[in-house]
Formats: sequence, structure tokens, C-alpha cells
Amino acid sequence: MASLLIKGGRVIDPATGTDALLDLLVVDGRIAERRPARPGKGASGERGVVPAGTKVLEAAGHWVCPGFVDMHVHLREPGQEHKESVETGTRAAAAGGFTSIACMPNTEPWNDGLSVTEYIVAEARRKGAVNVFPIGCVSKGGRGEELAEIGDMARSGAVAVSDDGQPVANTYLLRMAMEYTKIFGIPLIDHCEDRDLSAGGAMHEGYVSTMLGLQGIPAAAEEVAVAADLAVAQLTQGRLHVAHLSTRGSLEKVRQAKREGLRVTCEVTPHHLVLTDQAVADSDFDPNTKMNPPLRGEQDRQALIEGLRDGTIDAVASDHAPHHTDEKLQEFDEAPFGIIGLETSVPLIMDRFVRQGVITPARFVELMSVNPARILGLRKGTLAVGADADVTIIDPELERKVDVAQFRSKSRNSPFHGWTLRGWPVATVVAGQLVHEQRAAATR
Amino acid sequence: MLVDTKLQTSGRKTATAGARPSARRSTAARRPEGAADAQSARVEAATPEPKTEKRLIALKQNHLLGMQGLVAEEITLILDTARSFAEVSTRSIKKVPTLRGRTIVNFFMEPSTRTRSSFEIAEKRLSADALNFSPGASSVVKGESLLDTARNLEAMAPDMIVIRHKSSGAPHFLARHCRAHIINAGDGWHEHPTQALLDAFTIREKKGKLKGLRVAIIGDLMHSRVLRSNIFLLKTMGADVVACAPPTLTPVELSRLGVQVTWRIDEALEGADVVMMLRIQRERQKSGAFPSAREYYNLYGLTVERARRARTDADRQRRGGWAVLGHSRSGHQRGRRPDGRALSAGGRNAWRAC
Repeated sequence: MASLLIKGGRVIDPATGTDALLDLLVVDGRIAERRPARPGKGASGERGVVPAGTKVLEAAGHWVCPGFVDMHVHLREPGQEHKESVETGTRAAAAGGFTSIACMPNTEPWNDGLSVTEYIVAEARRKGAVNVFPIGCVSKGGRGEELAEIGDMARSGAVAVSDDGQPVANTYLLRMAMEYTKIFGIPLIDHCEDRDLSAGGAMHEGYVSTMLGLQGIPAAAEEVAVAADLAVAQLTQGRLHVAHLSTRGSLEKVRQAKREGLRVTCEVTPHHLVLTDQAVADSDFDPNTKMNPPLRGEQDRQALIEGLRDGTIDAVASDHAPHHTDEKLQEFDEAPFGIIGLETSVPLIMDRFVRQGVITPARFVELMSVNPARILGLRKGTLAVGADADVTIIDPELERKVDVAQFRSKSRNSPFHGWTLRGWPVATVVAGQLVHEQRAAATR
Repeated sequence: MLVDTKLQTSGRKTATAGARPSARRSTAARRPEGAADAQSARVEAATPEPKTEKRLIALKQNHLLGMQGLVAEEITLILDTARSFAEVSTRSIKKVPTLRGRTIVNFFMEPSTRTRSSFEIAEKRLSADALNFSPGASSVVKGESLLDTARNLEAMAPDMIVIRHKSSGAPHFLARHCRAHIINAGDGWHEHPTQALLDAFTIREKKGKLKGLRVAIIGDLMHSRVLRSNIFLLKTMGADVVACAPPTLTPVELSRLGVQVTWRIDEALEGADVVMMLRIQRERQKSGAFPSAREYYNLYGLTVERARRARTDADRQRRGGWAVLGHSRSGHQRGRRPDGRALSAGGRNAWRAC
């Protein structure tokens, strides 16, 4: 019987309304007991029954949170293992404080049927450091023409469908997909982009793109698609999740739709919350500032921060998009879109928003764990007794420099290299097993 | 190519001057500079300079990546130095030793005849060892990246690389990965600083100044690197700029660069001291920015009537004017560039730069 005592930490578990100093006893991969922390006493000195051989994880001064869920990750396997694999991607997740990740289907081949879904699930079981939940395609081959075999994928473990990287541009197909997914109770995650408006663009369209002579992607390219999706969601009463929402206009549309009672949720990435298009100019055309949707203007960024506060934004997701250095080290307009984020998400949000008091610790845990778990229908996101013992432990005071050379990911495409951030994940527990630990001295 | 000379002399000053964060700032500092400095000093002494502005003796930058960020004193320094070299071309032996022993690579990834010839002849007249390196499409087909090329170039240990590239920011990329001084000879839609310097040189020669002039820039603003470099230069030098194009060819928030923006050509021509006609690039019509060359010319062509009405004393056509549009049906060819008569209508001061 494997057991672990997480001792003396500040347990922040919004699902049970908890924010208190507690000891957590984990037995056989589940939360077995929660009790008030008793400082200074070791495992043997505890009042309750602690199984023999229980490992103790000292968490005094740390935040003990339900395991974080990154619902938007590209693991690149199968097909593009030079960028990332299930093994390295999940190690990066563990290092970044995530106990569960959902991986997008734009692999080679696309995850549009039973075999790829099963492969990912099996590979994750063999080599994965954290829980992996595949997201299947909406359409066969992500081509946006006909429905993929969503039932097969859902049966083998897919928790949502998406053609991510590609928008579902055909509104008839979108309607069919939103109706069809009702059978399985899974959401449709859409990458909202009107490709006619965005074609050829390399960065946000605005003053900076004008100054740099780069072709722009207007905010309207996203907003047109969000508006269309919401209309179809209204029509079908299906479940829509807007991926990596990036503009003020999109946010306003989602806010309005929620007010009207639509079953719509949305996520935002740390980079859209922290950076703006000015980063492209400041970095002298560094392709690590190129992603899709692009870094937007300051007004958009401020609107997204407001969305974090007021609850319009349901989740923070990294859109972890690994690319090999050779692919990124190109001319700006030639380089592929995307940056990695698994190992910087938590400290970025901690440093910029939680520690600054923009959002509360409880709200932070909702955004990182409770809500993404709920959206994907996972039995995660809580530290209630009986729940899976997936735990993210954060040292809110730890200050560290981001160093891409230390990343567990295979890729290095991050614009945050060299940033000093405060508030890092220090230990990650998946099903009662310690899968990552920052400080060597934490266990005994 | 006095720009080049001055850049050679600039290395020593640059280590502390970089406004942008990049390791490249320090790279040129270790170059031997003595000979070039001596040359430069002689050039300075020989330059007739009536102005009383603060003088610089070297640029603050290591590279010439764009006009953005250059201060007025630097631009004046380049133009004044150019003035002193103009005379070389009138001699029977058109050569000075300024860049003797220096290796310059002309790295052109985009078709160019005039710009490359201009660089080449300038390099030759300044006694540099010039190498033309134009891998063109073939290297791309072979899968060679710009980084590969940069490393190849670096192996030749050039002192300077002149780069023309279709991607905005490619010279900045090279500056990050090569130790040579980089001269941007046109990157994407971004900047074409030497063209703007040449335009400014021409304007100054003809009008005697830049400050206070009203310069109208008309044509395809969206895709024009010449526009951007000209705006940065002219604004820095105290000129007023009015930019004119159909809204479909006007980049967003252009007015935030400090220029007046209009889609009415008569408004742009009104009171203009200088008119620059930007060429319409053939490939742009595909983007649907205007319905036909014919209609474009009717709306934005520099006709005799418009030129007269504007009463501008100086109209100039952008070089490479055989740009453009559509089909060469007879009767519509005039749509391709300003009516030659319109240039004449500009009066005795009309000129063309090349």
C-alpha cells in the first residue's frame, strides 16, 4: 500500500471551499484523509493512523492545489517526434506543475480515429509522466469536410474534439459536429480564425505590423469566427469551447453569449496575457514572438486580464506548440507559428497576476485546474477525500530565472528565456506518485 | 556608398550606443579600425559644411538595418559624406582607396538590378573587394535556410554584408548571426534605408534642404519598404509627409507614424514640394486591392492635369516605374507609370532620381 503525506501546506481547493493549512494523506493514489496541520510533528507523531512506510512531502509555506490541467497541448506524437513526444511533453508538464494535459489532434497522421487515439493513450501509459487525455478531430484528416469517427475516439479516451490549427470553417460541418458530440457529452473546441481575413499574416495587424512591414492578422479574423461559432452554438445548443481567445471583441462576444445562457467556455494563454505585439518589435523580429493567434495590442491584453478577473475566461491553457530550433530560426514570416508554454505557464500567471493581487489564489486554481477539468469532463480538479491524488505544489516565494536549456521539453521556442519570475511549482504528484520535484531536500 | 564608409568607422563607438538589446552590438567593436578612421577624417575635412548643426564623426549604429532609430545628426553625416563622394564619379579615374582591403558581400535574395549595381559600383569606386552572392531560389529549393547561408557567408569573413531579402527582418536575423556589419538593401515591406537616403540626397540637392518641406508619397503604401524608410528619414529631418493610396493599399494606423494619410490624390498634391510616386507592384493586383490598372490610373495616376493643378515644382517618379498592372493592352500602358508629360509639367525643376 503506497502512501504519501503532504504535510503542512496551504491547501487551496475551491471545489470544497477550502483554503487552510492541512495535512493530506494519500493512499493508493487517492486522497485518503485531510486534517488540520500540526507543525513540527513528523509522520510518526501524528494523531491519526499513518500507514507504515509513508513518505512525507514537507509543504510548509507552499500552496497545495488540485493537480493543474493544461487543456491545450501539442505533443507532436505521432509523426513529429523531432519537436516533442508523449514522453518529453509529459515530463515538461510535470516540471511545469501539470498533472493532466489534453493533446491536440494535429499530429501526423491526424488523430481522427480509433488507432491514433489508442496509440496516444497506450504511449502515455507506457512513458507518460502525467495523465494524457487525447482530443480527437472534428473532421477526417482535419480537412473540414466530413465528420471523423468521433464515437470511436470518445470510446477510446478522447475527451473533446477539435481541428486545432485549423478552424472549423464550414458552418454546416460545425453544426453537425455540435449536434453529434451531444451523444458523447464532449465539447467542441474551435480554433477561431477566418482564413480569408488572416491569409498571409504573420503578426497582429496594427501599428506595430505597419511599422515593421509585416502582414497583419486583424482581430476581426478571430472575431468573425467566434461570432459564427456562437450563432451555431445557439442554433444547436451544443457545447462550444473557444481555444486561445485573444481579442477584446471575442471576449465581449463570449461574455454576452454566457449571459444569454449558451453552453460556451473559453481559454486564454499566458503569452496573450503577458505580451503584446510590441514584443515583435522589441525583439527585432524574433520568431519566438510569432504564434497564432498572434500577440495582440495592449487594449486586447487589458481586456483579457479583465476577463480573468470577472470569470468570463474559464481556463488558462498554454497552447504548448513545440518546434525544432532549426524550424524557428528562420525569417519571421517563414517561421512556423507557436511557442512552448508548459514550463512557464504557472510562474507567469503567479508572478504577473496572482502575486500582484489581480486574481486570488482560489481563482487561480479554478483557472488552472477546476475549470479545465470540468470542461473536459475529467474527475479531477479537487482534493476532496476520495479524489484522485493529483496535486500541484507551488512555492509562492521561489524566484527563478527561466532557462530554456533546463526545459524538459524537446523544444526551446520560448520568448520568456531569461525572465525572472516568482512563484514556481516545486512538486507534482500524479496518482499519489511524486513525478517532479524542484528541491532535492523536500522529501525524507 | 558613403554609408558604408561611415559604418566602417563606427565600430568603436557602438559598444555603448545600442538602443536595442542584442549581442550583435558588441561584435564589431573588435575590428581594427585605424585605417578607416584616417580616411574618414580626411573626408570630413574636405566636406564643405555650411550648417551649424551638431556634427558627428561616426554613426552610433553597427549596422544600417533601417532609418528608424537614426538621429538627424547621423542622417546629416551620411548625406554630407555622400556629397563629398559625388565628385569622384566625375573624375577620369573614378576610384578612392577608402575601403581598400575590405570585403563586402552583396547578398541578394530578391531580384534587383539597380540597387545591386549601385552597391557594386560604389564598392568598386571605394576600392573594396566586392563579391556578389545571389543564391536565389535554388538554395531554398535545396533546403538551405537563411541560417545556413549566414554561416556560409560568415566563413568568408566579410567586413560587410549588403542584404536584399523578401522577408521583413531578414537583415536583423543576419545581424544576430554574423559578425559583419549589415547593410539592409531592402527587406520585405519593412525598410529600404539606402533608397531613402538616396531620395533625401536628391531632394537636398534640388531643394537645398529637407526641413519644412511637404513631401507627398503616392502609390502602393501597403507593400512599400521605400515608404517606411522615407517616412522615418523625412520625419526625423523635419519634413512633413502626406501619404496617399486607396484605403485598400494603406496599412492600418499609418498616421501614427506621424504622417498625414489621405486617399484623395489632389489633397496629397496640394502644396507638395516633392512628389514621390511609388510603383504598383505587379503581384499586388492579385490581392484584389483595386479592380484594374485602368481604374487605378484614373484615380491615382499622376496626370498632366493633376501635376499642373498641384503646381508642384518637383515631381519625381520612383525608379523601376514599369511596375505593374494587369494586361498590356494598348492604350492602357500609360497606367503603368506616371505620364511622362506630367513630369515635364512639373516645370524646369522636375527630376528623376535613380
